[in-house]
Amino acid sequence: MAVELDPTVLPVMHKKARPVRRSLPVRMLGGLFLGFAALLCFWLFVLPVLVVALSSVAGHWSGTILPDSLSMRWFERLGSSDFDALTTSLEVGMGVAVLGTILGLWLALALEGRDRRGLGALVDTIAMMPNGVPSVVLGLAVLIAYHKRPLDLSSSAAIVVFVQLALVLPFCYRCAAAALRPELTILREAAASLGAPPSMVLRRVVLPQLVPAIRASLALGFALSLGELGATLTVYPPGFATVPIVVVGQVERGYYLPASALSLILLIVSLAALLLIAARVPRRRVD
Amino acid sequence: MSSLSTPDTPNPLNAAADARRSASAASHTAAVKRRERAAQWHLLFLAVVVLGPLVIYPLVRLVLLSFTGPHGLSLQAYSTFFSNPETSGVVGTTLWILFVSAGLASLLGIGLAALLFFKPFPGARMVTRFLELFVAFPSFLVAFTLIFLYGSQGSVSIALQRLLHLEAPPLNFLFGVGGVILAEVVFYAPFVVRPTLASFATLDMRLIEAARSLGASGWMVAFKVILPLAWPGIAAGTILCFLLTLNEFGILLVLGSAHLITLPVAIYSSATVDLDLPTAAAGAVVMLIMSLSLYALYRQVNRRKVKGAGHGR
Repeated sequence: MAVELDPTVLPVMHKKARPVRRSLPVRMLGGLFLGFAALLCFWLFVLPVLVVALSSVAGHWSGTILPDSLSMRWFERLGSSDFDALTTSLEVGMGVAVLGTILGLWLALALEGRDRRGLGALVDTIAMMPNGVPSVVLGLAVLIAYHKRPLDLSSSAAIVVFVQLALVLPFCYRCAAAALRPELTILREAAASLGAPPSMVLRRVVLPQLVPAIRASLALGFALSLGELGATLTVYPPGFATVPIVVVGQVERGYYLPASALSLILLIVSLAALLLIAARVPRRRVD
Repeated sequence: MSSLSTPDTPNPLNAAADARRSASAASHTAAVKRRERAAQWHLLFLAVVVLGPLVIYPLVRLVLLSFTGPHGLSLQAYSTFFSNPETSGVVGTTLWILFVSAGLASLLGIGLAALLFFKPFPGARMVTRFLELFVAFPSFLVAFTLIFLYGSQGSVSIALQRLLHLEAPPLNFLFGVGGVILAEVVFYAPFVVRPTLASFATLDMRLIEAARSLGASGWMVAFKVILPLAWPGIAAGTILCFLLTLNEFGILLVLGSAHLITLPVAIYSSATVDLDLPTAAAGAVVMLIMSLSLYALYRQVNRRKVKGAGHGR
């Protein structure tokens, strides 16, 4: 999922230079059209989220328009294996988010101002490449590369972290690169010219300015890792499961309602992570 | 620089200052050059230590394995993958599903973005926020919620049955091509809305008002003013939508795995069910070529968009 996290801005409504008088049927038709569009938006994009929430508290929902009774029993019935999967998902997600943010930051700092030509352009292209590689293909490639000696990771959870890290890296790199603005470069050069050693510049000038980007990159990496399915499904070792793997397994066996209880928890956790971004999003560099 | 400060008559003091200045300039350029060289080594180090094991090495191994037969170099894996009767038409199936669902998603997304931007209805802001949060919504969950809505026992199906007094629930298309296309359109349309909205936001609204005040109709404004100005952003969004749809896996697994063999599902099942890694690698290389060429196109268009925006200012 290649996403740029800019808050999309709707324009300020200007007053029309010359108000156009339209006849009543045309205006009614326009209103009808807008209402239809609003309904379509709601139907296509809001309803799926509501359905997950509703089905997870449904006592029974099949062959009826709305669930016939509400109950919390699917949450009560979540077993230890479900909670294990949730813990695993959270651990893997945090690991991937932290490692991805560090690597993304490192890449962005090293590539700053050099990503247009020569070696820099090449490194930039390779770092962004997982964005264009299907997750199943990347999972298969990592499995092939690390399933036997010299480095056998196929029976440890590390391979899952590894493959998700590769998938998340472009997003973290973009987040950090977008925050390295020209003003920041000037500040850094000023600090260096006043005699601050590089480590001090990094610690006292660069990192504090990058805090919003770091937060965004952590939250994005976490949310993407929680929802990742294709690559994880291809590489996961026996005895290991994340929430998406459990949910898909339950859906394939027809246990829809327990699956939606578990996915609602997953959604709430990743929405909480994304709301951290909504608090503050780094502006994109205009170049 | 020094020519500015040099007077006509040379004097020893000035000459000394000149020498000092040129020495300092030389040492400065040397330092810049040294720093640049260090940065290049740093980049090389990063490429080898971080990107090497994460991206380059696995992909190289994948391509190598797909060309490895029992006796060295061969194309056997490819012939196995494509001669399997179950997967013979798989590329064609994948491509036509891609074109139908990504095409519909793009049209819907562009239309929706235009509506949200030019004719905002009550709640448009909320819808925009909501579309931003769609990032956190895993694709397989969309497929899953559609089962509750449009499955043969789902709400819509039952509602239609009651409304039309039918014997049996009328909808039974979900587990197959229809369901996959519906889920992909629903899930990927928001990904077109965002870049399209962003490119509308860079439009000069005065041009649109000028066109209107000169008497252009709505359609004329849309096709003669807005579309030519905003098309790089729209094109980037559409290509991104095609790329994401091609790379989709969760929806195909949940809704399509029983009746519909597509490239990702075929790769997945030959890798994990048949445990035949070379054959899976052959399929994966074919898919890699398709999606990387689409991705290269995306980067090209995106770069042109950035450049175009720079010229416009």
